[in-house]
Amino acid sequence: MPKNKPKRSAPSIDMTAMCDVAFLLLTFFMLTAKAKPQETLVIDTPSSISETKLPDAGTLTVLLGKDGKIFLDMTGQHTRLDLITNIDTAYALKLSDEQKMKFANLGSFGVSRSQLKKFIDLPSAERTAFPAAGIPVDTADVNKSELADWIHRARLAQFRMKQSGKVKEEYVIIVKADRDTPYPAVQKVINTLTDIKVNKFNLITSMEGKAEKK
Amino acid sequence: MAEIAQDGGGGHKKGGKVRSKKMSTRIDFTPMVDLGFLLITFFMLTTTLAKPQIMALVMPDKDIKLEDVEPVKESKVLTLLLGGNDKVYWYEGITDAKLDSTDYSAEGVRQVILNKMDKVREQFQLETYKKKNKDGEEIEYKDGSYINVIIKPTKDARYKNLVDALDEMAITKVRYYVILDVSPLEEEFMKNPAGGLKFSVEEQVDAATK
Repeated sequence: MPKNKPKRSAPSIDMTAMCDVAFLLLTFFMLTAKAKPQETLVIDTPSSISETKLPDAGTLTVLLGKDGKIFLDMTGQHTRLDLITNIDTAYALKLSDEQKMKFANLGSFGVSRSQLKKFIDLPSAERTAFPAAGIPVDTADVNKSELADWIHRARLAQFRMKQSGKVKEEYVIIVKADRDTPYPAVQKVINTLTDIKVNKFNLITSMEGKAEKK
Repeated sequence: MAEIAQDGGGGHKKGGKVRSKKMSTRIDFTPMVDLGFLLITFFMLTTTLAKPQIMALVMPDKDIKLEDVEPVKESKVLTLLLGGNDKVYWYEGITDAKLDSTDYSAEGVRQVILNKMDKVREQFQLETYKKKNKDGEEIEYKDGSYINVIIKPTKDARYKNLVDALDEMAITKVRYYVILDVSPLEEEFMKNPAGGLKFSVEEQVDAATK
């Protein structure tokens, strides 16, 4: 290139690089942003000063609604598939492979074992409308408590998955209850957990807001 | 890519014929970038805010035996009974326990705990000391924080009350606290504070291990 004539370019800025970066970031945030899972149970958590964040993976959440209904949610598709296969064989629910797959991708659920099949078969839009009574708890006899059974088997499933290298961590047990849940309902869950030797668990709280303090 | 056709349309080409002026193929990227950053801001804010906090809670093992536990000094014990309507009933020790009530505000139950700490510190002549925590901040610890708080939510309490009480434990740095069920004797005590607390160790153990 001859250098004798200084080229006069238009005083415009090259936006390409900026645009590239902007959209790269945009793609990143869009992909990492989790789609809000279907709210089968609306829970308004109480606030606390705790600053520990909820882990992304390896959580087993017991959801406890205002009316004391108990729902369960757990992360990990492999674990869920293993868990439902396990439950299916143990209680002869006669679920098809497709139904098991559906369960693996399901969000939270709060139906008794006998209603599970019906619940899975519903199209996802109708699941929120399903009159879920929550997972039954028997505080008198832990062996009869479906909640205890679910949690126990889920932890075992996660352990198996960890051994086969499909997940990295064992389950952290999380209790997510509404601020207005009466204590006896919370007590039921805590008793069930301690009955199956889960003595360490976490309560979900939201950030302490100034407006909330009375 | 934004710099395509830098010279802005064909100007002086060979041939000298006057051609219709070509439109510039440059695109103004500014609105696109604007939109991009707007969306980035949106997604950044929503992703970080969506993550809830967790609060760890350790419950005592149910199979614990009375022989295995060390008795605590009665004068170090503060019992909080979480009642309905966001009220906290509390009493110190067992002998001649006086029932008092307060609320969950910073002037309420927090002061009760801090007062108890001061009392215990004075009684047992404990010193305060400064120590760095894991973040390197210097924090004043009191030996008096070794009080034993027993949190007993009644059936009228709601979940928020329990979390608030646990939060106070974190704020006042109480080292030893436990959640237990309310015993029938305490229920009676709450109904009739003048009658005094009739306490039985057996009942407490029963409540803790049942």
